[in-house]
Amino acid sequence: MIILANGKTKEVAQRSDDTENLWVRIGDLPRATGWQMKRRGMCFGDLCVPLPANRLEEWIADAEDWVWFCYSDFADMIGQKHVRDGDVWSLGSVPEVRRTGLESAIAPDFEMTERNGNTLRLSDLRGRKVVLFTWSSW
Amino acid sequence: MYESIGPDRFELISVAQDSGGPKAVDKWFDRASPTFRCVVDPTHQISSLFGWVNVPSAAWIDEDGTIVRSNEGAYPAELTIGFGLGKVRVGDNSFARATRDWIERGPDSEHVWSSTELAERLKPVDDDTRLAEATFKLALHFEAVGDSERALKHFAAAHHLAPDNWNYLRQGWTHKGTLYASVQVLKRQSHLNKNTDKSFYDPMGLPGENHRRYTQPEWLWTPAVRGLKRLLRR
Repeated sequence: MIILANGKTKEVAQRSDDTENLWVRIGDLPRATGWQMKRRGMCFGDLCVPLPANRLEEWIADAEDWVWFCYSDFADMIGQKHVRDGDVWSLGSVPEVRRTGLESAIAPDFEMTERNGNTLRLSDLRGRKVVLFTWSSW
Repeated sequence: MYESIGPDRFELISVAQDSGGPKAVDKWFDRASPTFRCVVDPTHQISSLFGWVNVPSAAWIDEDGTIVRSNEGAYPAELTIGFGLGKVRVGDNSFARATRDWIERGPDSEHVWSSTELAERLKPVDDDTRLAEATFKLALHFEAVGDSERALKHFAAAHHLAPDNWNYLRQGWTHKGTLYASVQVLKRQSHLNKNTDKSFYDPMGLPGENHRRYTQPEWLWTPAVRGLKRLLRR
């Protein structure tokens, strides 16, 4: 199945006995969703969300020789919208990440490849004034 | 704008937001032979992050990484686009003037926003807006893999959820061709102008700003065409 999140498209394994929910192998979580499972809970960069103890049994499952995490239920808990068509799942932005950014007015960080092949990370430009400008051919 | 203000004084990141990727935007970049940083953003990631619903849009980010201004319809200059009867004048010079002032005076520039002002001005992101964003990304995916039917279905759904997002509309229309998209933009603008108080871009709040920074071809308003339209309506 394919997961669209944070501007990236990732192909990951699908749990074949439950295709109604978005189950992701724990090891695939960071590359597919940006979230990583840690002792403190689920972390997205600096932001960590504790997992509710009473849901752990439902959300973490051993199946088909792998450990899976029910990402769609977690997304519902944190208010991240998701929409699917067939085996393609699209995840919206994480509200908490956006809210934190806006309250502090810190520009959301991003990493993209410049046309000349260099990697551009906004946070690398700290110390300089930046004008960020979008346009399109249409 | 970049060269005249001085490349050593700030970083300019030019983001080409176009699902067509490099193929759709390379000729524009090449024509400008830019000396600043250029990226192609086929999934509209920057607009999602900064909450922009139209192009061109721009943000000023200070030395600490703080957003100190964010505007839609932030043209670098007054431009003429199209040709012949389709010639349209767009934009104005107010944003470039303000940018120069901010580069020179930093936090002392009167055009800098406080964080409270920024929070007030940024568009609220409700459930529908976030669902629209996920739906739009789904449309872009199906467009990229050549599944036109599903792409159009999700473009339409995204527009339904976020009717004021011009990026979603224009990118969706462009799926049917750039000429089709241009005509649709004009038709919708004309409809909005006549029937609502919505403008194509929110006011930037800058001195000398032209509130209609995107106008229809002038020939549409010549007396002869107006007369013809009246006749056709009868």
